[in-house]
Amino acid sequence: MNLFTKAEGCLGHVTTIDLKPTIPGENRYVKYCKSQLISSNSILLVMKLTFIFLFALIFNVQAEGYSQKVTYSGENVAIEKVFSSIKKQTGYGFFFQKELIRLAKPVTINAVNEDLSEVLNSVFKDQPLEFSIQNKTILVLKKTVPVMIPESNLVNISELLEVKDIIVKGQISDTRGETLPGVSIKIKGTTVGATSDLDGRYTINVPNKNSVIVFTYIGYVTQEQTVNDRTTLNVKMEAANTALTEVVVTAFGLSRQKKALAYSVTEVKGEEFTTSRENNIANAFSGKVAGVNVTGMASGPGGSSRVIIRGNGSLSGNNQPLYVVNGMPISNIARAQAQGEGATILDRGDGISSINPDDIESVNILKGGPAAALYGSQASNGVILITTKKGAVQKGIGVEIGSNFTVGSPSMYPDLQYEYGQGLDGIKPLTQAQSISSGRLSFGAKIDDAVGGYVQFDGNASRPYSAVSVKQNWQNFYRPSTNLTNNVAFSGGNSSALVYRLGISDLRANALEPGSSYKRQSANLDVRSELGKKIIIETTFHYNSDQGTNRPGNGYADNTTSWATNLLANTVDIRNLAPGYDANFNEVQWQQVPEAQNPYFVINRMGNTDKKNRFMGQASIQYNLLKNLFVKLNGMRDMDRFESMDYMPFGTAKRPKGLFNSGTSFNTKSTAQLLVNYNATFLTNFQVTAMAGASIDRNVFNSTYNGGSEFIVPNFISFSNLALQTATIGFSSFGQNSAFGSAELSYKGIFYLNGTARQDWFSTLNPGKNSILYPSVGASVILSDAIKLPSLISFAKLRASYAQVGGATVSPYQINQAYGFQQGGHLGQPVQTTSTALSNPDLRPLTSTTYEGGVDIQFLKNRLGLDFTYYNRKTTDDIYSTAIASSSGYTSALLNVGELSNKGIEVLLTGQPIKSTKFNWDVSANYAYNKSTIEKLSSGLTQIAGVQIGRPFNTLRGRTYLENASGQRVFNRLSGYEVQSPEVEYGSGVPPHTMGLTNNFRYKNFAFNFLIDAKFGNIVQSGLSRYLYRFGLSKNTLPGRGPAGLTVSGVDQAGLPFTKTWKEAEVDTYYNNQASISPLTTSVFDGDFIKLRSVVLSYNLPVKKLKFVNLQSANFSLVSRNLAIIHKKITDFDPESAYTIGNDQGGSSNTIPRTRDIGFNLVVKF
Amino acid sequence: MKLNRINKIVAFFTMVIVLTACTDELAKLNKNPNAYEEVNPKFLFTRALLTQANLNPNGNRFNNMQMLQQEATYSEVTAPGDKYFAEGYVRTNWNAYSGCLKDINLVIDASSKDPNNVNLRAVARIWRVYIYHQLTDLYGDIPYSEANKGLSGAYTPKYDIQSDIYKNMVVELDESAKALDASKTTYGSSDLIYSGNTTSWKQFAYSLMLRIGMRLSKIDMAESTRIVKLAIAGGPITTAGALAKIPYADGALTRNPLSDQARILDYVDGQNPLNVQGSKMSKRLIDHLKGNSTTTKDPRLNVMSILWVKQADKTYKADTATALQRGMQNAQFNGYPADFESYSEPNVDVVYSYSAPFVVMGPAEVNFLLSEAVVLGMHTGDAAAFYSDGVKAAMAQWALFGAGGVISSDKVTTYLANNPFKSAGTANDKVEQISTQKWVLFYLDQIENFANWRRTGYPVLIPTNYPGNITGGRIPRRYIVPESEETLNKTNFLAAKARQSGDNTLLSRVWWDKP
Repeated sequence: MNLFTKAEGCLGHVTTIDLKPTIPGENRYVKYCKSQLISSNSILLVMKLTFIFLFALIFNVQAEGYSQKVTYSGENVAIEKVFSSIKKQTGYGFFFQKELIRLAKPVTINAVNEDLSEVLNSVFKDQPLEFSIQNKTILVLKKTVPVMIPESNLVNISELLEVKDIIVKGQISDTRGETLPGVSIKIKGTTVGATSDLDGRYTINVPNKNSVIVFTYIGYVTQEQTVNDRTTLNVKMEAANTALTEVVVTAFGLSRQKKALAYSVTEVKGEEFTTSRENNIANAFSGKVAGVNVTGMASGPGGSSRVIIRGNGSLSGNNQPLYVVNGMPISNIARAQAQGEGATILDRGDGISSINPDDIESVNILKGGPAAALYGSQASNGVILITTKKGAVQKGIGVEIGSNFTVGSPSMYPDLQYEYGQGLDGIKPLTQAQSISSGRLSFGAKIDDAVGGYVQFDGNASRPYSAVSVKQNWQNFYRPSTNLTNNVAFSGGNSSALVYRLGISDLRANALEPGSSYKRQSANLDVRSELGKKIIIETTFHYNSDQGTNRPGNGYADNTTSWATNLLANTVDIRNLAPGYDANFNEVQWQQVPEAQNPYFVINRMGNTDKKNRFMGQASIQYNLLKNLFVKLNGMRDMDRFESMDYMPFGTAKRPKGLFNSGTSFNTKSTAQLLVNYNATFLTNFQVTAMAGASIDRNVFNSTYNGGSEFIVPNFISFSNLALQTATIGFSSFGQNSAFGSAELSYKGIFYLNGTARQDWFSTLNPGKNSILYPSVGASVILSDAIKLPSLISFAKLRASYAQVGGATVSPYQINQAYGFQQGGHLGQPVQTTSTALSNPDLRPLTSTTYEGGVDIQFLKNRLGLDFTYYNRKTTDDIYSTAIASSSGYTSALLNVGELSNKGIEVLLTGQPIKSTKFNWDVSANYAYNKSTIEKLSSGLTQIAGVQIGRPFNTLRGRTYLENASGQRVFNRLSGYEVQSPEVEYGSGVPPHTMGLTNNFRYKNFAFNFLIDAKFGNIVQSGLSRYLYRFGLSKNTLPGRGPAGLTVSGVDQAGLPFTKTWKEAEVDTYYNNQASISPLTTSVFDGDFIKLRSVVLSYNLPVKKLKFVNLQSANFSLVSRNLAIIHKKITDFDPESAYTIGNDQGGSSNTIPRTRDIGFNLVVKF
Repeated sequence: MKLNRINKIVAFFTMVIVLTACTDELAKLNKNPNAYEEVNPKFLFTRALLTQANLNPNGNRFNNMQMLQQEATYSEVTAPGDKYFAEGYVRTNWNAYSGCLKDINLVIDASSKDPNNVNLRAVARIWRVYIYHQLTDLYGDIPYSEANKGLSGAYTPKYDIQSDIYKNMVVELDESAKALDASKTTYGSSDLIYSGNTTSWKQFAYSLMLRIGMRLSKIDMAESTRIVKLAIAGGPITTAGALAKIPYADGALTRNPLSDQARILDYVDGQNPLNVQGSKMSKRLIDHLKGNSTTTKDPRLNVMSILWVKQADKTYKADTATALQRGMQNAQFNGYPADFESYSEPNVDVVYSYSAPFVVMGPAEVNFLLSEAVVLGMHTGDAAAFYSDGVKAAMAQWALFGAGGVISSDKVTTYLANNPFKSAGTANDKVEQISTQKWVLFYLDQIENFANWRRTGYPVLIPTNYPGNITGGRIPRRYIVPESEETLNKTNFLAAKARQSGDNTLLSRVWWDKP
């Protein structure tokens, strides 16, 4: 085998080294030119060290998650085998000359989870070899032979060394006094080194007293000590600055050193999703990440979530980020759909709600443009990168078992009036008919607790006219919600040829609403295989099955229980409404409007189900053409079949013969991606990483709907039993082709410059206008390495970037006007249908441009950290379906309209107020402010539905009372009501200020953690409050009750003084109508809140003391989510009561109560 | 070996280029397999008929049927007509622009290309006048000459003055009627009204012109007379066979839209005593139909009105007996009245039959118009004969609604004998008598009912004055142009508003509705 041969073609000497020939008969060569080399031996070393560096670099980026612990057992095994296993487990690479290894004796080792250094020590015991750890590479050397080392990239060796007999010994410990085994000790400028033993002790021979010993340990600050005259050198190592060493996953699953990034990225670790958990992991981001605004729906377990990063970038397009799992995009289709008829929405989850939190290793949130630029248009709103857990080479099978159980109750109760009871016109109902017509009205007489005279909806006249609070009714109607998750994961692999992890999880949740439940079973299998050294195959299969049963309806009255639980007259016990139906199964109405159903009828007789089977399969092949050049082909298909059904049975008051809807849909998203990645070092200090790739994305949606009304046979719920049937099919497809590339250049690990470019072609736009090329460029400098900073500052980094992302936020088939046909035609005649939306064949892609700058500073030896980011994100040519005057024939036109910007800051403060051996206190606070502005609209438009130039996105507008110059209300003399003002601005539906505060306390084996989450500056327009007002439940409707009536005064439209007294019997009419005159004063609230989002008290069981069970670790936690609302201004409902994840935020309506959940979490590892 | 590697790299980049260059395939992806990309004038004409009829059935009921005192409700919310309250329903008719008007304009554009399609074009233009006429009568000045041109980029049409719209509508009708040619292609069976019969369409065009002409009797007698004469010369509908109606049948998407909505929202099958919107037949209408004695009783009472009578087994049975019929007083209640079950409801088997036709225009109305034309001196002839032909046709019309709607000729004859045309009365008496007949006739055509009542002031309706009503106790005179116009077509909207007394309220008046 050639170790090296000479070749021609370069100036000077050319050396080709065979590094790791793995495929028989085919050697790979690398060409290397160097003008001056000392000797063939040193040439060899230079080459090797160069590759150590590259190798280390590549490996570094893959080393995340490896430990410094090794498990290995074997008798008389070749030393290479041990090395290979260590490499897989720890990420430490070995470097050696083949001849040298031949000198090695076989070894016998039996190590279970032992420190790397310990294992290495026993491997090298009695060998003619020794080892030295450099960075993450273990260099194997001939024992006690002085080594001649030339200048190299890695260690900057400048002189030949001769080992003298100065022996230095010492012990290494951390700042808490605990000894550190496995610390790499080496003499600066050489590769001579040693490793600390189990007690942190080391011995090293140094050439002279001017020698500098370098102590390196992963996660700790590297220390240098000049020997001088010392022979004992004890060292205390400081925990490292994570900012320097942290590696994060970026585009396409490629890891990068965080310090190299020119944009802001935030990582959330897997355990943060599992201890105090949310079924939908997106909800778990709330308060954790600056600049990420999460709105979880108040729709029970299994609901969806709206995540917005740095504001809404598009007026009408999707504003949610792209979810990427292991480098490949997945679909995040929301299944919130209108139920039956009417305005009620059933939230049937979204794409991200399928992901099992237990499978997540980490989540990286790429907020900035450059991060997203590589993912293209789908990433114009940021990217949430999910890395799933992988197996590792280990002895035996690693088993992890987790259990989480929580019980929930309403997070708050409305504050309503209990002075006047059921009735209207100031009178309590005296007959059953009167009682039914005032079932929702609390405009009755003063509550007097009298028995008799008061008749309820069922004709019962024996109940007292006493207050029954909403709290009582909620407690009587709802049940405690429960959420139980059990999961087990197996992982392992005997060698890198096959490493696997299988995670299985089962979630069972019962909503507050009786009969409503959600289940999710999932399995996630990750298999990674290295075929030789050149080919790495990795596959991930994810399957989950979600089943929603009787999901709560939200929004309006129909099909909901919450309408009744909120709006039932305040002297009626909700249990009187049970069971909701009579002997003939007909709904028993508690008030006269059948839309507002009997809540017991809803839970006992009506129903809905949905079932999702989702499969995500991903496979990649990486082929290492060279050590520093690989090609990776990655394919993914995300498919799900979704079935749903809902019905109103025979006997429903609103639909006496019943109603039935069912549908199935089958969606696939397929992505194929090809990457070429190259990195190299040149001119000693420069390093370049370049990547180029192409991808294809295809999406297909197929759906069928079968539904109708009027069951023929009562109580047989089936499509086949419908007198009136309708069936429709749906199909759409869209895709995108892309080519992209990126390059990163770094100098000495201090200066970084990177650039990307991507070209997208969209199927949803017409050829000729369907393509866009967009660039990004970013730079960062590690200031603390570049210049000398005051010792107060331990780390400082500046970063700046500019990025563009193109997008085509338009649904398929919207650009060309098209017509359809009405199902079945009309009496045998075909009927063509038209759309009220105007298409636009000239539509072109939009562009989102982000300027971002930031600074990351660590003070006081990393005890205090500040990460500050400013960004300015602008979307131009936004594609918007603009409302146009319907007299044009169309109600909307699809235009490249306008420009909107989001400017903001993100601040992350981290600190360690207390840091000691036994007690630690970590604090992390984040704050973000986003200012959204509509900058421009297409010509001629100053305002389009809810959108106004110069004002934020989602600015809610509406009317209020008209006032004259002196502040008097203007009344309409004819009606006696206040006159409505022109539209005024209510406020922003999206909170501009979001913040979170996390505190971690750790004392011995106990840990206490809590997260406070707050949002400020938005308003909520509440449909529920409007009805609480109209129906006389709101405290604001108390004035004017009683014989005197309500006197209103002001001026009339002519400016003349006006006074009117609404009589006692008319006060209800007044309030009822007034609610719609001024929504601003009757149903618009300041949405500010501060919530105690999560509290966790956990205990790590001292498993080492429990020798009788073979536990690796065990953790028991008491957990709570949404434990308390510390501050809010709304009295009627939880400020987080959104029921739609659409762009129209700021509205709220009837929802089941949000919950406060308390429970426990148990994790055991074997 | 080196070459091999380079080849691979080259091959890779070639692949990249291939992958990204296949835009043809992308264009194919954007072709909707379920969409039809051209306008088929026939199939879209059918749609334009249906969308017009389906424009705002419930709104017309809650607004006009209540304010013209034919239906009453105890509800406050859905009582725009009963109590002159919420205004929401009066904006919905504006949706004609993005509905039937858009459709009919697309039909006209599509049929204008081929001279052989002269009938398609002419019939579509006639239908467009029918739609516009209703719209301008509801809203006054409206976008007309520049409307419905969104496809060519015109998003903000100006508002035309109503008198100009009237002039143009007459021209449109005259031109179209004259263009009809029986030898050319017709809509055939796609024409749900006349199955392509050009003669009938001509009669319909002149009937509509007659209606349009008569509408101006209050504001401009000369112009009114001119148009009426032109219409009569053209030849309006006189026979039952030429009655224009859109047929429906019970079925998933083929039910009469008004019946469907009225029954879902209010008058459910089997009689649920808790009518959703609390509606009943109004006292004003029931009292009128009952007359003040058995002889003056209108036989349509027993066709249109029923009372649900509770049976021993607690189910309800419909009863059409005259003595049982009782109407609810408008604006009397704001809650479920104790005697709610004792009020009459529309006969769901007739009035709100799922297969009830939508009567566009028929000989009854034409005869009443002719009778009035004679009374007003626009036309010569026998006003009394026109009147009784009108009454006969009006009564016969209910037979189109099913077996329950058949009124025997004996009853008609008796009614006419007992309630003869007031030949001896003043012109006003006659107009009142004719218009009161039209009020009953237009029970299911509330847009025409509202317009005719505003023009003639008959029948005399006593307004209600429910606490807090928004018109000060006056019956509304106009619909409100939706606020979206103020937002999206501001300049033109404001100009039109300023022109029409600066108001956009229920009490504004259209041009021809001279106080």
